Amino acid sequence: MSVAKLLNQLDLNRESVLVIRGTTLVPGDATLADSDEIEIRPVISGGGQ
Amino acid sequence: MKCRVCRGPAVIDIRRHNANFCEPHFLRYCRQQVERAISEHRMVEPGEKLLVAVSGGKDSLAVWDLLVEIGFQADGLYVGLGIGEYSDISGDHVRRFAQERDLNLIEVDLLSTYQYDIPTAAAKTRRVPCSACGLSKRHIFDSATLDGDYDALVTGHNLDDEAAVLYGNVMRWQTQYLGRQQPMLPAENGFPRKVKPLVKLTERETAAYCVIKGIDYLVEECPMAAGNKHLGYKEALNDLERQSPGTKADFYVSFLKHAAHRFVDEDDAKADMGTCNSCGSPASGETCAFCRLVETAAGTPGIKPEPIPVETPGALR
Repeated sequence: MSVAKLLNQLDLNRESVLVIRGTTLVPGDATLADSDEIEIRPVISGGGQ
Repeated sequence: MKCRVCRGPAVIDIRRHNANFCEPHFLRYCRQQVERAISEHRMVEPGEKLLVAVSGGKDSLAVWDLLVEIGFQADGLYVGLGIGEYSDISGDHVRRFAQERDLNLIEVDLLSTYQYDIPTAAAKTRRVPCSACGLSKRHIFDSATLDGDYDALVTGHNLDDEAAVLYGNVMRWQTQYLGRQQPMLPAENGFPRKVKPLVKLTERETAAYCVIKGIDYLVEECPMAAGNKHLGYKEALNDLERQSPGTKADFYVSFLKHAAHRFVDEDDAKADMGTCNSCGSPASGETCAFCRLVETAAGTPGIKPEPIPVETPGALR
């Protein structure tokens, strides 16, 4: 399954997260193996100004 | 997916630019975006001395890293907010970052310096926590920049931050704020120059920059910011961005280009401001908003503490 497809299945916006395998970024078209362990890291942060 | 520059394997796609990058070329892209923002908005000149407000999050550590890499002399300023474990951990991230790079870090702890913390201030002043926090940080940032003879204060506000603030201000037509939403505010009326070199980078990009550079930032969100309007605006804009890449940047950049000048900075009224009787900062009445907050939150007058010393590398660790 591709990263983009996984995020769609999880209803996650690609603008709001990074996908990381180990210490490396994983692009949207990368294929994930069943044995892969990944981190889906949210990137939205902050209070008002 | 291939890198737009070298055709090697890409690690990230930037849909609004219809571009993919490998690690080295993504880092170069980030540096170029910061250099362009600095140049286009005349934020700082080579050789100027900068103070970077750092929280331990991705944006402030990324901008500090980028400015040092570009060649600026940039010190860090961390404010201990007293928000429980969150503040303890964020301080650790900042100290570790500075120590590993041998950078100067100035620390101000709200509780030991002013006898209050953000949860207490929010409760006693009946402000929302982000409001008490913002007021406290702005005052301390300004004071430290002026006391330390820095040429400008740098903050890590990114494209998402600016677009979200703009969205919120437009939704309510808060013209007094629209008039001063600029990536560079010049020094005037007792306030230091303030610059935002990350306005051309989204927060997904600053996070990716940190991952690639191995910058160990605090991923968790401030527990007191959960559910605030600003985060809701960001989610709304990202929903638009998903359907139409580039919308977020167009919204903000077009505002700067075509609309910002139409709104008057009502803070120009600050030209007539006096100085606070307690701390000497600019104030519209006898006492500035920060000193009033200190008095309510801590029960003590908001006196001006001694100027914050600028330490040599390693002295604050």
